[in-house]
Amino acid sequence: MNISSSRPLLAPAGHHLLRLGDYSLMLHRRSMVVALILSLLLATVATWILAAGDDALTPSKALLAAFGQGEALQVFLIQELRMPRLIAGLLSGAALGAAGCLLQTLARNRLATPGVIGIDNGATAFAVASIVAVPTSLAPSALALSGAASAAILTFALAAGGGARGYRFIVVGIAIGALFGALTNLMLARSDMDAANAAYPWTVGSLNARPADSVLLLGIGLAAGLPLAKLLVNALSLMRFSDNVAIGLGVRLQRMRLLTLALCVWLTALAVAVVGPVGLIALAAPEMARHLCNRHGVPVLNAALSGALMMILADWLGRTLLAPIEIPVGIIAAVVGGPYLLWILLRQAPRSST
Amino acid sequence: MLAARLSVPQALSYTAVCLLLLCVASLLLGAGDIGILPSLQALLGGSDEDARFIVFELRWVRTELALLVGLALGAAGVLLQAVTRNPLAEPGLLGVSAGASFAVVLAINLGASAASLHLGVAMLGSLVGCVLVLLVTRMRGVGDDPVRLVLAGAAFSSMLGALSSLLLLWDQRTADEMRFWVIGALAGRPLDTLDWSLPGLLGGLLMALLVVRPLAALALGERVASGLGHHPQLTRLGTLLAVAILVGTATAAAGPIAFIGLIVPYIARRLVGSDIRRTLGLSMLLGPCVLLLADVISRLLVRPYELPVGVVTAFVGAPILIAVVRNHRLPTL
Amino acid sequence: MSIRSHLQRTAAAITTSLLLALPLHASERTLDSAYGPVKISGTAQRVVALGDSALDAALSLGIQPVGTLASRGGDDVPDYLKTTAGKITLVGSVREPNLEAILRLQPDLVLASSDLSRDLYAKLSLMAPTVVPTGNSFQDWRKTYLTYAQALGKQEEGQQRLAEIDKRSAELRHRLPQGQAVSVVRWNPQGPVIMSSHLFVGQLLNDLGLRANELAAAQAQKPHSDVLSLENLSRINADWIFLATLNPDGRKALEDARKQPAFTRLSAVVDGHVVTVDGQIWSSSSGYLAAQQVLDDVEKALLD
Repeated sequence: MNISSSRPLLAPAGHHLLRLGDYSLMLHRRSMVVALILSLLLATVATWILAAGDDALTPSKALLAAFGQGEALQVFLIQELRMPRLIAGLLSGAALGAAGCLLQTLARNRLATPGVIGIDNGATAFAVASIVAVPTSLAPSALALSGAASAAILTFALAAGGGARGYRFIVVGIAIGALFGALTNLMLARSDMDAANAAYPWTVGSLNARPADSVLLLGIGLAAGLPLAKLLVNALSLMRFSDNVAIGLGVRLQRMRLLTLALCVWLTALAVAVVGPVGLIALAAPEMARHLCNRHGVPVLNAALSGALMMILADWLGRTLLAPIEIPVGIIAAVVGGPYLLWILLRQAPRSST
Repeated sequence: MLAARLSVPQALSYTAVCLLLLCVASLLLGAGDIGILPSLQALLGGSDEDARFIVFELRWVRTELALLVGLALGAAGVLLQAVTRNPLAEPGLLGVSAGASFAVVLAINLGASAASLHLGVAMLGSLVGCVLVLLVTRMRGVGDDPVRLVLAGAAFSSMLGALSSLLLLWDQRTADEMRFWVIGALAGRPLDTLDWSLPGLLGGLLMALLVVRPLAALALGERVASGLGHHPQLTRLGTLLAVAILVGTATAAAGPIAFIGLIVPYIARRLVGSDIRRTLGLSMLLGPCVLLLADVISRLLVRPYELPVGVVTAFVGAPILIAVVRNHRLPTL
Repeated sequence: MSIRSHLQRTAAAITTSLLLALPLHASERTLDSAYGPVKISGTAQRVVALGDSALDAALSLGIQPVGTLASRGGDDVPDYLKTTAGKITLVGSVREPNLEAILRLQPDLVLASSDLSRDLYAKLSLMAPTVVPTGNSFQDWRKTYLTYAQALGKQEEGQQRLAEIDKRSAELRHRLPQGQAVSVVRWNPQGPVIMSSHLFVGQLLNDLGLRANELAAAQAQKPHSDVLSLENLSRINADWIFLATLNPDGRKALEDARKQPAFTRLSAVVDGHVVTVDGQIWSSSSGYLAAQQVLDDVEKALLD
């Protein structure tokens, strides 16, 4: 974070410095170790989930089947049913985790997550509308995207003046969420049972047979968004301090804010378009990452990894607990994550944010 | 502390006139074919049997229920805001209503069907919600933060919502019955609803009257309150108990209706200032006003059908919530 | 049967469904479905019926499906099909079919309801030929029934079953008082809705020469009306009211309805012309077995 560049930069203790011409990237050693461990854990859990719940499959067989080797039935099970679901879970979890981390940093409040400020509800309302109320040729996931964007824009526009932080921003978000929630309730109350059933996955969040094209879009969006988020991290970690400090350290505040916000909405919207409202992942994943890294930084990559891990674990629980009836992943996340959110709220010291 | 714009008798009389007008409107307007004139004739003793039936058997009962529920929620809102010293506190937002309705859903799921049983269960559920509120506000440092309380309520509500969905997965049979407990409504409640919820309302109001003075003293600080001979902790407990009884009664009678407890104290404070001794009485008139207005709107918006009134109050209440946080530096009450 | 042969057969099923272009079997037939033509060969042995109507059709044609969904409003096969269906594996609920549970049954034919989503269809059609009937619940129910019959290779039997229904309706029509108005009402906890008269039950009642109530006839787009205001409850009035909930137990619905004075003053109620019926048949299902039940209900109510 040294600004004068006349002397060669030296990495502070616990960091590595990566140089490429004029650009240099500082890497936190512990974060890297955590990222490595999380990736390994993720790979193990993913493989295990691919094989779980079927006597005929071992993890190694499941891996082989993923590449088309083995019995036809197993290959079909893995390639057509479990892999797409796993990938959808990994990608959406990662996107939500990263988006949550970005918004928390931006708002200087660990409780400010996309779900809390109404983005999830906006997406749900639009998706449900496309199914039960307004006959349209657009797919629900396309509308979920526009719903998420409109909720975010509404929240920020109405909270304007107070900056994208502090209580005003969050309470306006809650109000916007309540509005869209009422809209969803209204549409469901007026629709018939079959349409309400069709809209059901969108109201609770589910990974069962999600549309392949929106998963693809999410993949592309994530591939572009994550590196961008990582690039923003340095400026972001300065923004954790007060505005004056950040400006003093040379952050172009307004532009950074807008960019971060756009990125956050982009990632959330793409994820919600796939999985529906599973907002609690965006709250819990950055917490876990921060806890593991044990420092006051912006662990955006580790948050993404944690989010992916949480999402696939929650989905696995939902698939197995009441089989053959599936519990949608959003319900698992809320039942497990709700008490966790309460715990953070009660334990948090008054003024320490992020 | 907001300055009073009106004297209490002035505000009370204006509100009473409003309430009277809204009651008449509620009797004259509806989703059916019986328009204003036939309704008026029926009200004044006309002989059209259909009109008489609709005015006296349907709209009358519904108006009474709105009065009762509005009164309970308005009073509960003022009490909750006073005891948490938080202008955002609202039984719906803080998860008290969610606690009540989840308790009823659970009871139905376990096989309870008697409507009067719902009252006790709902009160228990809202009591749990109130205990949570108490926990959060007594937490050091957290209690001063208006937002954290609201967030805790939102977290609690969403958790209970997910648990309800889980119950529905176990037992699809009651799924349809439970949809009612997600959005409140005043229409089509069983006729005996009034009979069994009236004692709940009276009990809650009695409790509220007992704590008004200590609460007002508490607003000046714990020391002052103790000096005046009031027990702060006992006052808080008593207030939350009153809130639990009132919200439990309202929820058992009409399902969860959000935002009344936010809108009413907001208006009351602007009219007569923030002293609870002035706002409590006014809110008992304002609550029914707001709910009746929302109910009349819910009947007229999609004629010949109706909307659940809980949807209408959310559409009115959310903008007010935004207005509250935009216009104030969130003074502690 | 060994697991190995199961696997081989399923692999074969997958291959055939993937290589639709190759004519393989003599009794091969092509069906028009909502998501394009589906080729089916031979007689299906392991049928999975997703939905009450599909299950009704299969059972009425003497085929025991290996798997089905819990009906809506219940957590099992609908009551009226329970004894006929016998022991049958549940593969999820109407809201969310469980794909892995379906795959485990290794179906060679999937009969789905007409509102199956495209994403689910994409997966199911890889497991086995999946038939999603064209049209919706507003078209002649016979068409949907025949689509299922055709898929099962039992078109003639299907025609016979339908002829039985037509014959019985014609007979019953002679014995019933003519020109009577009827309405089918679902009494939900949120309030009453009237069922459209253009659906399965409405079509049957129409064939019996019973006249649909005005409001029911006006529901040409949605399966049922919005929740009715009690002020407008007189619009459900008819010579006969058939009262149901989503559950098989119609009596509870009647109990709830009787608590409302707006209901008890309807002329049909005063005359005792309210008939409680099984909502799983009257407001959810369609098919031969359901039709027989509906005719039974009407005959019992209006003639006894």
